[in-house]
Amino acid sequence: MFRQGDVLVVPIAREELPEGLMDAPRDRRNRMVLALGEATGHAHVLTGERASMLCPPDEPGRLYLLIEGYGRLAHEEHGPIALAPGAYKVVRQREYFPGAIRPVAD
Amino acid sequence: MSEQTTSGTASAARRHDDDIRLAEQGERWLATGLSCEPADRAGAEAGVRIAYALAGLPAPRHILWLGSPAAGALGVAMLRTGQRGGRRDEHIRQALEAQGARPGELELGRSVRPKVRTRPWAQARAALTAKLGGTGFARHWAATARRPWQQLTDQLATPLRTRIDADLAGRLSARAGQTDQVAELPQAAREALLDAIGGQHDAAWLAAFDSHPDVDGLARVAGSAGWWWAFEHVAVLTERPVAVHRDNLGRLHHGDGPALFYPDGFGLHAWSGMPITAEVAAELPHLTVERIRGEGNAEMRRVMLEHFGFDRYLRESGASKTQSDECGTLWRVTLPGDEPLVMVEVLNSSPEPDGTFRTYFLRVPPTIRTARAGVAWTFDLTEEEYVPLQQT
Repeated sequence: MFRQGDVLVVPIAREELPEGLMDAPRDRRNRMVLALGEATGHAHVLTGERASMLCPPDEPGRLYLLIEGYGRLAHEEHGPIALAPGAYKVVRQREYFPGAIRPVAD
Repeated sequence: MSEQTTSGTASAARRHDDDIRLAEQGERWLATGLSCEPADRAGAEAGVRIAYALAGLPAPRHILWLGSPAAGALGVAMLRTGQRGGRRDEHIRQALEAQGARPGELELGRSVRPKVRTRPWAQARAALTAKLGGTGFARHWAATARRPWQQLTDQLATPLRTRIDADLAGRLSARAGQTDQVAELPQAAREALLDAIGGQHDAAWLAAFDSHPDVDGLARVAGSAGWWWAFEHVAVLTERPVAVHRDNLGRLHHGDGPALFYPDGFGLHAWSGMPITAEVAAELPHLTVERIRGEGNAEMRRVMLEHFGFDRYLRESGASKTQSDECGTLWRVTLPGDEPLVMVEVLNSSPEPDGTFRTYFLRVPPTIRTARAGVAWTFDLTEEEYVPLQQT
């Protein structure tokens, strides 16, 4: 598994990918954005060859990556991470808040 | 996923262009929803007339303007009840009277919100679902409206409505035991809140429909003004904010003045999305460990802690390092009358431009015993499961 700031990318078996995934929406620059900072505009972005970012149609926030060629994860404030072929699930960091759990954004 | 055939490649290219167009549409509507420009009054009023016409209604006889959503709710309540309000509502009454609308002398008529807003939305949604299919619509919604909805409805309009309603409820409880007449205005304003149309905050769902003919009127108002109200004879429109301050998650957040501020002076103070009173906001720059420790309200204490800085609080309150490992350091400090504050101090793995490594603190449940378990928890994993090969 790989950590880039507040995003963790966890390898899973391909069979663990849920059924019926669709290509997750891209941003207007056609980028695959795993997480976006609303204030800074900084983003965790996937690029690569035959690399897809997928999600269940009714849960666009739950992201999976399927890398068939190669993948590269980039962010303005963090070093790049190379992703080998395989399936991955994307986990956003959270923090504890008595009575609630909140996501983290770096 | 990759396409193999020639026709598949063509359709993939077409879908690719569509995706960019939809993402642009979503961003454009999000910007509309966050706009702090003064209202385009002529544009908004034209939109109102179109919205009424699309609903099969004659245009409202009067279109009135007020300075904020709070003023809108109270102004509607004044016109509905004929109550003139107290001194703190005087600016609203004066604004109405300056437009020739004296409370008690202008008939609003019934709310036409269901016809003007609810029905066209349902129609546009049905049309798009018929065209795209269920999954297609889900995909379309995700590409266009997911982020605007999250950012505008969840982070702005809902806290705003909650705060205005809480203010009005506070007025009612302060007047408990007084005459029904005194309570009539805040009660009617609470009811008016349920009848508000989002204006620019309707961008949250308009992002999916854009300028679909059914929602053309609503879209024009959304592009020109803030919350509004639609009655048979009168429409009440309000201004957009002059400032919106948000954090990296898009939550209302500002340490120096209101996070959301309207031209009539109405504002909403908030820290990391948590609404706070103006009094607490004024205190934030002057906090001490003792003041935070003495705060009885647990939510306010959390706001104070965050503003003060967890690291500074740990340092100044004599917190103890309870454990260290390759994932970071675990800190623990007891808080009177509250669960202990347990934080993991994480070293950022990418150096800053000056070559140093920034640390940051994340609060974890008080049951956590090691820094590794703490970081693992922040990613919803167990200590055993959390084994990053590479961190940046």
